[in-house]
Amino acid sequence: MAIARLTRLSYWYPGAEQPALRDVSLLIDAGLTVVTGPSGGGKSTLLRVLNGLVPHFHGGRIAGAAEVVGHDVIRTPTRSLARTVGFVFQDPELQTVYDAVDREVAFGLENIALPPREMAARVEEALYAAGVAHLAGRSVRTLSGGERQRVALASALAMRPRLVVLDEPTSQLDPEGASMVLDAVRNIVEQGRTAVIAEHRLERLLPHASASVVVDHGSTSAAWPVTSSLTAGITTRSRTGPLAWSLVGVSAGFGGRLVLESIDAFGHQGEVVALSGPNGGGKTTLLRLIAGALSPMSGKIERRPGRIAYLPQNPTALLHRPTLRSEVSLTLERAGEPEPPEAILAELGLLAVAGRYPRDLSCGERQRAALAAVLPGRPDLVLLDEPTRGMDAAARSALVGLVSRLRDQGSAIVLATHDPDLRSALADRVLYVSAGSVVGSESRSVSA
Amino acid sequence: MNARAVAAWSAACLFIVLFTTNPAYKAMVLAAAIASLAAGAGLHRMRGLLTGVVLIAAFATLLNFISAHLGATVLFELPQEIPAIGGPYTLEALAAGLSGGLTVGAAIVAAAPFSLMLASHDVMNALPAALSRTGAAIAASLNLVPSVSASFVQVTEAQRLRGWRPRGPRSWAEVIVPVVLTSVEGSIQLAESMEARGFGSGPRTALKSSPLRKSDWLLVAACAAAVITIVIAHATGRAADWYPYPALVAPSVDAVSLAACLLLFAPVVAWRSRA
Repeated sequence: MAIARLTRLSYWYPGAEQPALRDVSLLIDAGLTVVTGPSGGGKSTLLRVLNGLVPHFHGGRIAGAAEVVGHDVIRTPTRSLARTVGFVFQDPELQTVYDAVDREVAFGLENIALPPREMAARVEEALYAAGVAHLAGRSVRTLSGGERQRVALASALAMRPRLVVLDEPTSQLDPEGASMVLDAVRNIVEQGRTAVIAEHRLERLLPHASASVVVDHGSTSAAWPVTSSLTAGITTRSRTGPLAWSLVGVSAGFGGRLVLESIDAFGHQGEVVALSGPNGGGKTTLLRLIAGALSPMSGKIERRPGRIAYLPQNPTALLHRPTLRSEVSLTLERAGEPEPPEAILAELGLLAVAGRYPRDLSCGERQRAALAAVLPGRPDLVLLDEPTRGMDAAARSALVGLVSRLRDQGSAIVLATHDPDLRSALADRVLYVSAGSVVGSESRSVSA
Repeated sequence: MNARAVAAWSAACLFIVLFTTNPAYKAMVLAAAIASLAAGAGLHRMRGLLTGVVLIAAFATLLNFISAHLGATVLFELPQEIPAIGGPYTLEALAAGLSGGLTVGAAIVAAAPFSLMLASHDVMNALPAALSRTGAAIAASLNLVPSVSASFVQVTEAQRLRGWRPRGPRSWAEVIVPVVLTSVEGSIQLAESMEARGFGSGPRTALKSSPLRKSDWLLVAACAAAVITIVIAHATGRAADWYPYPALVAPSVDAVSLAACLLLFAPVVAWRSRA
């Protein structure tokens, strides 16, 4: 049974000359539909058509027809479609209105003026369906990313929508959080609901999908996506050089709280050290110590003099220049490096958008833009904090290529990551950081 | 604690501190506000607030001392030729500045329970139905505050490592602009999320409502009594105004008005029992 039908739909964002969606005709049936495609291809725009955010929230020009569960999307405002279509966005922190979980789940029901008694039952039902019944009454701020995203799913389900749309709901989550969310999505589909999801981590979803849509350059096709692994492209590792950084008996923390205690660690030039371990274990604090952004409470930190390139967890927050090229130039000028900005932009596949405002790029392109802004030239010490968070396959491959080159040029690299594929592809040595200590390490064989 | 009762107490404190010109009553309101907030939120959560209040009050005091060259008791004098700050510096201007600082400090501490003691949904519940949409928007924006402050720390640190150094106010644009842009983008995404969940559809209902309990009613009654007493005392001339110019005199204190201000200490008992 068709839940949604798009007929020759084209859409232009305000001021855009090229359409973001181009003559799209699509039928979405009951079950799970997976939407894939490259960054900037039009996935998010397509999903936003399904609940009317495009065109009602974003404005712009639209042509063709779109019908979702009997509603003409182009004539029905999003707030009216909210009863029919639930939507879960990428970032769990930017879709939370209230601080209490049950109030948050009830927000949509309050908006449609459901009587309070009926509302309580709906909230309970939705929390249960999303697998977060145990979180009722908790403060949203105390939840992990995966828990928050499942609360967002519960908020959508509370409206008893005919269709649930999820726009890369795991892109900002670590693997554990992503698993939680994808399991919840799989469960709601098994319960008989219809869902459309744009997602890069396809392995868990494809066995349960009834249809697949690939969106590229604003056009759609029904091709079945192929999953890929970063490990396919492991590059040859070179020998490591002299000691680049070291921590001896270092303890550190902030706000009166001890986060790391008696840490001994080191890294060499031309070596990639991966920091692994659970959330809150101290990986980011360790990176900040190595960078010199945080002073230790005790112990000794040494690093070879030279330029440090640091990629924070949300690197796109750094972007502020009028063009991507000027963003890269700024770093190169400050570092006194003669390299033209086009070199790293070409390496990351961004030359075509070098003259654009970085914040107008798609999510995946922005991630690559942030890499380009931080890592041009020849930094001596490269520190990357969860660099694959939110990255699509193209951006992840670009990152592996870039880090491999920097390592081969002699940069010392430390990356804090949950991503097992990235560790396999890049790490010479893995340090396991948990509960404020380095609880283990593993040296990996160097390929010839 | 009930947000309406908290609002009544805050309103009473604000009314008295803005209505009276007498620094004795203002000081009493400030003391009541600090004591009540300490009882409800705990002293440890007030440290930052109190530091800010002291700084703002000191600034208000200093501003008046520097800019108001009035009064009979000249402490020292700067040449009139110096623009803006030249002229006599008087004890009266200092006293008027201190009174102004007290007003600002008391007003900030009296409004602080909304951020330190109440959740955003409690505040929203307390609003009349006609303001529920505004309340939801405010609640949502309050939830963005922690991410903005985290973003500021992260961007400052990352820009430093990218070679940025703070050299005068203009250099801060490289930190402020990305933080502001990120906040604006966050607000737009939040608005999009709210729209997708039916916000703005029409009249709203609420999952939970918190009725006023006996102790809340008693607090509201105490606040009303304090306000009425101060107004009557002022109207009958018992609570006289205080004006430091042209020559400084000590403010006269009316015992009944002072007792009325004491009623504002009621939350010390009511909020401590629920904290």
